[in-house]
Amino acid sequence: MKKYVIPVFGGLPFVLAVALAACIACTGACLISCSGERDVRPPPTTRIADPSDIIDQELMIALAQAKNFHHKSKVYMADGNLTAATTSVRQILSLHFPKAAPEADDVRNDARALLAKLLMSQGQLDEATRTIEEGLAASQRESFFVANLYTVQGELHEARAVGFDATGEPGKAAAIDERRAAIASYDRSIQINERLQKTLLEER
Amino acid sequence: MATQDDDNVARIPDPDVEPTASELAHARRFAELVDKTLSGRTPPAMSADDRALLEVATVIRAAHGSLELAPSQQRAVVEDALRQAISTPASAGRGQVTSIAEGRSRLRRRAPWIVAGTSTLVAAAAIALLWLRVPGPGDAARGNPVARGAEVPQEWISRSADALVGPIARDHAGDAGARIDAIFADRLDGFRTRRLARGGKR
Repeated sequence: MKKYVIPVFGGLPFVLAVALAACIACTGACLISCSGERDVRPPPTTRIADPSDIIDQELMIALAQAKNFHHKSKVYMADGNLTAATTSVRQILSLHFPKAAPEADDVRNDARALLAKLLMSQGQLDEATRTIEEGLAASQRESFFVANLYTVQGELHEARAVGFDATGEPGKAAAIDERRAAIASYDRSIQINERLQKTLLEER
Repeated sequence: MATQDDDNVARIPDPDVEPTASELAHARRFAELVDKTLSGRTPPAMSADDRALLEVATVIRAAHGSLELAPSQQRAVVEDALRQAISTPASAGRGQVTSIAEGRSRLRRRAPWIVAGTSTLVAAAAIALLWLRVPGPGDAARGNPVARGAEVPQEWISRSADALVGPIARDHAGDAGARIDAIFADRLDGFRTRRLARGGKR
């Protein structure tokens, strides 16, 4: 005759399995709740950093070189050698910065602004405009340095307008267009500055 | 053509007819047989007709509730019924109503697994949540402060120079030299502080 065994609810192996699972669940829940409490803190003055975020020697070398090129350019400018000064500033653009270092964008944009002004002072308006446009195109984010590029772009438009004015009646319409473009560039600069200042104030 | 049923009907006496002496004697003898059976003194031998009648009488008495089964017999009857219910093949039960005993038995078999499985799933989810949790500020790097996810002072970190330089006025649009000096000095300060904190190591 076939023997029938009615399974006992919660036989020893099952009871052990359930108890173990329950213990693990409770431990996990406790750890999560504890960690959740730990996260409720005011924003710290420190932040989580990736190793690539840390200021390292590579970044300091690049900044030091940029600084030296600027000083060299300043000396050339004092000597009235604008061509050499322009070459010196242009070398900043080819410096190697650590990957994703935010300072790289800032330093390059600032160098482009100075380079554009140097080119403008030498009458090379087209190349100056190209330098600014390349900087704006390469920028990954808004910054005071990007706003400065727009400011210099406005100055370039103004310089062009002056040039068209000098041609007399035929250049009047173009001069008006350039002045409008200058106003648009200055407006962009002002807007970026306002947004960034607001953000900085909120962070403080 | 006359059948056996016709013969039986012919042998059934009219209920209004007075019983004969032989019938009364037979009834008395059968009553004694029933009494003996109920008192546990069933005769070892009896006629087939008497045995059949005796079984019918016993069943009728039990159906009226006058007969109680012994606990062992009750258990045997219940177990027999459950056994039959459980041993019924699943295919045979297609389209049939599942018996309550079978349903409960199935539930009993599966309940521990359901409970254990659910608990294990909950535990696995909790552990996975803990494992994948975004590290909080309290999980600061212990030991190497430059390790991935380390909590380090702001001045040690490469960052935008916006906060340092501020808005650039139009008059100072070309003063990049002065600004690079400020940026370099600030970052050098952070770099040196970090090196000193690490005992001069890079």
